[in-house]
Amino acid sequence: MSQSDTIIIETKNLGKAFGEVQALRGVDLQVPRNSIFGFLGPNGAGKTTTMKILLGLSRPTSGSGTIFGLDIQHESVAIRERIGYLPQQPRFIDYMTARENLEFAARFFFNGPQSRIRARCDEMLELVGLTDKANRPIRGFSGGEKQRLGIGLAQVNYPDLLILDEPASALDPLGRQSVMEIMERLRKHTTVFYSTHILDDVQRVSDTVAILNHGQMVASGPIEQILSGQDGVVYTIVLKDSPDDFATSLSELPWVAHTNFQTQNGLTTWHISVDDESAAESLLLRHILADRRITVTEFRRKKYELEEVFMQIVRGDFNDR
Amino acid sequence: MTANLNFQPAKEWNSLRGFANLFRKESRAWWGTRRWWVNALLWTGIMGGITGLMLFIMPSMAEASGDPSVEAAGGPLAFGFQLGRSIFFDLGTLVMAIGVVVLCMDMIVEEKHSGLTEWLLSKPIARRSYVLAKICATLLAVLVLVVALPALAAYAMLGLRIGAPYPPIPFLSGVGIMVIHTWFYLTLTIMLGTLFTSRPPILGIAFGMLFGGNLVATLFQPLIYIMPLSLSKVAVLVAEGQALPAGLLWSPLFFTALWSLIFILVAVKKFETTEF
Repeated sequence: MSQSDTIIIETKNLGKAFGEVQALRGVDLQVPRNSIFGFLGPNGAGKTTTMKILLGLSRPTSGSGTIFGLDIQHESVAIRERIGYLPQQPRFIDYMTARENLEFAARFFFNGPQSRIRARCDEMLELVGLTDKANRPIRGFSGGEKQRLGIGLAQVNYPDLLILDEPASALDPLGRQSVMEIMERLRKHTTVFYSTHILDDVQRVSDTVAILNHGQMVASGPIEQILSGQDGVVYTIVLKDSPDDFATSLSELPWVAHTNFQTQNGLTTWHISVDDESAAESLLLRHILADRRITVTEFRRKKYELEEVFMQIVRGDFNDR
Repeated sequence: MTANLNFQPAKEWNSLRGFANLFRKESRAWWGTRRWWVNALLWTGIMGGITGLMLFIMPSMAEASGDPSVEAAGGPLAFGFQLGRSIFFDLGTLVMAIGVVVLCMDMIVEEKHSGLTEWLLSKPIARRSYVLAKICATLLAVLVLVVALPALAAYAMLGLRIGAPYPPIPFLSGVGIMVIHTWFYLTLTIMLGTLFTSRPPILGIAFGMLFGGNLVATLFQPLIYIMPLSLSKVAVLVAEGQALPAGLLWSPLFFTALWSLIFILVAVKKFETTEF
């Protein structure tokens, strides 16, 4: 299997400048096939710019990229034949109904037969739950309905890759849930590359994540890897009485990288970073319990929430350590 | 994906990929909404109304007020006929140009602002198809709604006034000049839509050329040979069946058509390099 079979999107050193402003700096991106790839970053990080470059709507000022192994600058039409795109604020032909919009979008890809095109549009209306509103003018649609129709439009050509720019950002919790469910349903058919601010959603549906900040890729990888934190493995231990020499005793262990603690209501919470996961797993708790003066009330491996990791990365907390 | 095997893939000439679908969309915007009959009534009403006023009402008013030009024209009937014909071809040419600027000024700018252009360009289409589909569909609609229907109404009224059909060749020649003049402003406005992102510069340049062009031509005479500045007057003379010096007739027509082609090329080139 060649790399273009397993990697759908690949960029190398992708850069974009708007005059003096450097919007993207050397972005290296790899989106695996059939992944739901969450592309995260604060406002102005360069997510939409990256997506527009991938779609051929904008040109990079440096670097290169491929989608399906095709060059994003020179083979853009061939790439777009296999892509579905949902812009941040989906727009439609407002004098057409939902079904007419879908048929219009489908005709960029298929000439016929008309019955198959209609059937495909019906499938899309059903997928996004708009069958009962198929013949209603777009003008009367709510934000959520428009967003769902946008996903249907992006999916009408059986794309190998869906690029969704903030697909749920303008929606209420129910609308968001509905969009996430649609994305999960699409997972088995296509690769989904989407940007968002809503980290709970990413943690729920994404399997791979990249974080962009100030136009630079600051983290990328499977979501489990990102959630494990960039500090490596951290154990959290809560002690009732913490002897004065506890820190020294920990520092004698060769696989303990560093420690810190905080005391509250007579309990001391220790965070112990280790650089040998298996040694820590088998020896850390034994070492602590060997000291009879200590009462352990809690012992767990620290699990990060994506929001926590995101904030640390974006604020540069990890870089400061 | 395998699920799309039952479809006939869209096959078009790569350089004009997406043109047919975009042309259908643009045509639908004209003919599939109330826009067509609103414009049909509006432009036929304005130009037919003014022409009818000159043909049927003005002569009796001028005669009643003792205007000597009625007598000079050979009576109220001839006076009204000359006035109606002159107004239709002279003022009508300008009204059609105003109409086409108003109808086309938002055509590209609005879609750029709304994000619709961005969405369309994410489909497998050649960018030139977007511009050319707009020009072709709009030209067709403008020819029918802004030029042909008012011209038909004017032709019927002229015939009614003189009690016999107006000679078709000079009338159609005059209308042909109106078409070229309208075509110039249509392509100019669409080109400006690709160059600018807001309405004021589009309106300023198009109307500046329409209303200020003759003023500039008084300072630099050769302009009337290479710009459409004299075409409304030329249309009147041609419709009257008068012979014109070749330079005054063919030169502005040739250059107006040439400018229109240049505008299309600039619009396509600009749109192909625009980033969204």
